[in-house]
Formats: sequence, C-alpha cells, structure tokens
Amino acid sequence: MTSPVVTWPEDAASMSEGERDVHVRFMREALVMAELALKTNEVPVGCVFVHDGKVIGRGMNATNASHNGTRHAEFIAISEILSSSTPKHHPSILQKCDLYVTIEPCIMCASLLRQFGVRKVWFGGGNERFGGTGGVLDIHLSNGRELGDKGEQRRIESDYEVSGGWLREEAIVFLRRFYVSGNEKAPEPKKEKKERVLKLDVEPVVKRAKVDG
Amino acid sequence: MQTTRGKLHPLKTALEIRSCDKLVDFYITVVPVKQSNTVLKIVRQAIPNDGGLDIQHLRRFAKLADLPPEVRATIAAARHVSPTITNTDTGEEEEGVGERVLLVGSINASTKDTLTELLAPVLETLALVVIQVPFLTPTSQEQATRWTARFWPTVYKKSNLFGPHPSLANRAMESIAGEVENWLGLAEEVAADAHEEGRGERVGVVVVERIEGVGRVLAVAADARWLDWPRETNGNVSAHAAMRGVGIVAVGLKAKENLKSDTLSASSASLPASIFRDEPIGETERAYFQPSDKKGYLCHELEIYCTHEPCVMCAMAIVHSRFGKLVFRRKMQRTGGVCADGELGHGLFWRKELNWTMLGWQWCPDGEDKDGEGAVDVNLNA
Ligand SMILES: [Zn+2]
Ligand SMILES: [Zn+2]
Repeated sequence: MTSPVVTWPEDAASMSEGERDVHVRFMREALVMAELALKTNEVPVGCVFVHDGKVIGRGMNATNASHNGTRHAEFIAISEILSSSTPKHHPSILQKCDLYVTIEPCIMCASLLRQFGVRKVWFGGGNERFGGTGGVLDIHLSNGRELGDKGEQRRIESDYEVSGGWLREEAIVFLRRFYVSGNEKAPEPKKEKKERVLKLDVEPVVKRAKVDG
Repeated sequence: MQTTRGKLHPLKTALEIRSCDKLVDFYITVVPVKQSNTVLKIVRQAIPNDGGLDIQHLRRFAKLADLPPEVRATIAAARHVSPTITNTDTGEEEEGVGERVLLVGSINASTKDTLTELLAPVLETLALVVIQVPFLTPTSQEQATRWTARFWPTVYKKSNLFGPHPSLANRAMESIAGEVENWLGLAEEVAADAHEEGRGERVGVVVVERIEGVGRVLAVAADARWLDWPRETNGNVSAHAAMRGVGIVAVGLKAKENLKSDTLSASSASLPASIFRDEPIGETERAYFQPSDKKGYLCHELEIYCTHEPCVMCAMAIVHSRFGKLVFRRKMQRTGGVCADGELGHGLFWRKELNWTMLGWQWCPDGEDKDGEGAVDVNLNA
C-alpha cells in the first residue's frame, strides 16, 4: 500500500509488497535514464541491467546523437556492461541479469537480448508499433515462431520471461511529451502522418492516489 | 568481379504468403439473366455490405461456362437433387443459356434458410450451393488466373495491398539488376577476409547509395563477432555484419556533422570504450569507406547487399535504419528475420504494422552450387 503506483501489472498480484517495491525501484532508475534521453532530444526510453540486486549498466536511447537508428537503450547498456568495467565482465554475466526498461523492447532489441541470453525483462509501457516481446512479435518465445493452435508454448533455450506494465503510465507520458513536439530529425515516413504517432494506448493518467493505512 | 550470372527473386511478404491459400465458404445460386438485378437487390438487403467482407476481387455474376468444372458439377448436382429446389422443371434445358451464377454471400453472413425464404419467391429454380472462394485480393495476374481456374472468376486489380506495388517493385529491380552481382561479390570478399582472419563469421554486407541511378558504396562490413571476444559465447551480437554496416554509415554522418559544427568537433576526440565495431576493419573495408555527400537521415533509402539473410535483430535494424532496398544471397531458413516463408515467418522487410517497409530480393546464381563457398552453419544468426 505504500508504493505510489497508479496501476499494478498483473504479475504484481502474486507478489509480496517488498518484492513489488524492488521492481518499482529499478524501474524508477530506468525512468531516470528515459528522462535524461528526453532532455537531450532522444526518444525517451531508458533501461538498467540488474545483477545480484545491483544496477551494473544503464542505457538510454541515442539514435539522434549517433545518427544510428540501432542505438537503443538496451544496446547502450550492454555495451557499457561489457566494455567499461575493470576487469571486464564476461558476456555470460548477462545470463544472470534482469533488464528493466521503460518501454517494451523492440523486435531488434528483443533479438539482441535473446542472443546474449538475458534472464528476464521487466518493462513499463507496451510497444504496439515495434514490440518484440508481445507487442508485434514474441521474440522471447521460440524466437517468435508461430506455434500453431496449442496455447502451451514449449520453452526452448534462450527463451526469456517477460513482465510488462511496471510504471507504464510514467513511461508513456515521457513518450507523449517527446512525440507531441515531434522527432524533428526524422523525415516523414512513406505512410500517412498519423501512423507516426505511437499508438500506445494508455488510460488517462490518474493522479497518484495516496492510500491511507 | 565475378562472371557467374544469376536472378533476383522478389521476396514474398508475410501477408502475401498468408493470403495465398486463405479460402472462405460462399453461397452461390443460378439466376436467370432477366432477374439478376432483382435477385442482387434482395441479396444486398439480406446481407448488407457483404457482411463486412471485401469481395471486390470476385466477380459478382459469372457465366456457367466460365466456372471451374468442379463448381459446375456441384451446381448441376444441386439442381437435380437438392431439397432446396422448389419448382424443379425437367432439368432438360440447355445448361447456362440465359443464366448467370450469382455469388450470394459468405455462409457466416446469412443462413441457407433465410436466403431460401427470401429468394424462393422470385427464383423459379433455386439451387443454393456452397463453394470455396479466395478470401483476399490476388497479388498478381498469375494468381488471379490460377484462382479463376480453381475457384471462382477473380480479378487482379494491378495493385498489391499485401506488399509493394508491382510496377514500383519492377522498376526498382531494373535499377539495381546490373550491379547486384558486383556488390554481392564485394560482400563475399570481406566475408571471406573476416572468416580467414578469425574475427568473424563468413558474413558480409555492402551499403550502397544510389543517386540518379548510379550506385556508389558507402560502407562495406563483415561480421566481427569474434574480435576481442570469448569464443564460448554467441560472440559480440552487436558486431553482426549488418549492424556494422549501419554503424559505419552512422560514423560517416557523424563525421560530416562534426566538420560543420565547431561546437561538436571535440566530441569525437575521446570515444568511450564500447562493444560496437563501427570503424572499418581490414583493407577492403577501409578502401571502400566513403561517407555520403548528402546530409542523410540514418540509412534512409540506401541499399544493403548481404551474403546471408540477416537475423531477426539485423533485419529489424535494417528497418529502423530505413533502408530502401535489401538483397541477400543465401537464405537462412532457421534464423532469418527478413523472409516470410522461412521457419520464423516474420517477413520483416515488409510488414504493414511497422512504420517502414522496403523492397527485398534474394539473388540466386545460375547453376547447381547455390551457396558456393559461403555456406555457414544453419543455426547461425547472420
Ligand atoms: Zn530496440
Ligand atoms: Zn544479425
């Protein structure tokens, strides 16, 4: 009852308060990175990698500054983890890491995480436009293969778990603030203008209710 | 460069592949020509807006003679034995003279009883039968012809809702056809270098800018996943050939920006340590690195030539970078993210829900040895 969260994700239902607070705390750290991106005119997505309860890498979107459309927060954070510590971390450390990212990883990043073998992904807002962990494709499950009518998905090597909806309202508000002004660097895509707007449906953001008791 | 010849095969989009065989059950009935308008009016009232289905690719009325033999047989059988025949005449009349067959509507849009009730009063002979018709509009004339012969007269509208517009795709193919072999040959060359020097898998890409029809290389990049990287892993995932190709183009753009801006010029001096391999490695990559003269946005409308079909990550990276055309030589059946007819089926080069689509081809050399020297492990993420 203490965490100032507007809506809890489904997965939070079965968690203890302490457990939920841990995830909210790390997601707040990811949001700090998203805010930093917003301040530097980047699409405001941020992330942190957590190993043994500690943040070991941070990333924010940097596509505009780098002129590289692949410099998403996840890439930046993994690069930091695997190149700037002394001694250097072995890449296999990622298999013991959880990723907290403010917006669902895109298809590209979902595949990156799969190939590096990240353990679990916690995200805020869903990504209906590019999402690779449920939004458009399910890259985290069987590399996104369609598995026929059987609802049960067979877990295969390098599949990873995903939990979405953590502080999603805040993550989406950042995106809205960015897209209202428009990514001035990007030319209009071939399709109609309206499709450029991120279709991240979010219920009206309710003012945080302080719950007594 | 090389003397082998080959052919460009346009890639099929996910929608094209899925629309191929999708059929739906429709009622049809025989209608005297004179009554066709009356009957159609009744049908349109009974099933407004065709029940929400788009059937503009299907002829509404067809001559019996134009229908596939199976459909004619079904109709004939129904006219003689169907219990829905209300006023059967002798059945001796000559087949099809003064008659048309009407595509009534989807079996989900109305029931046989309802239709019988509405149509029996105006149709002397009512033979309502169910046949299968193609659900989606055809994407080529050949497909329309095939469907007409098998199911129901189908019209090709010279447009493609499920992929790039045919005439646009053809023009684009002509614009690159003469150069493909050359660029792919160059990609093969750097791929072989990287493989031999042990810094990467045998995968390479060439990024080409086309100005007024003339192609020019901006970047050549080979896989560098094993460069300064422990072997017991998947390698440096961010150093796949396509990621490096994109990265090298970006470095070119950045350098241009720094040249023009005094304030930013210092920033390139001390690059922080990173896993990215965005600088040309080896002789060939360095020789061909030549930033664009244009002030471009990412890899907007550039062309990428790949020795192997890029993995899911690289395919999406190519979409994010807004390439205009993609050509690869060897299909990666298990791991490729570009094709819609591989094991994954993602077809990322052209998906409606993504904000960018491009044209894609596989280049197949003539002759037996399709993969040549460049075959890689089937499970490799290229
Ligand atoms: Zn991403
Ligand atoms: Zn790749």
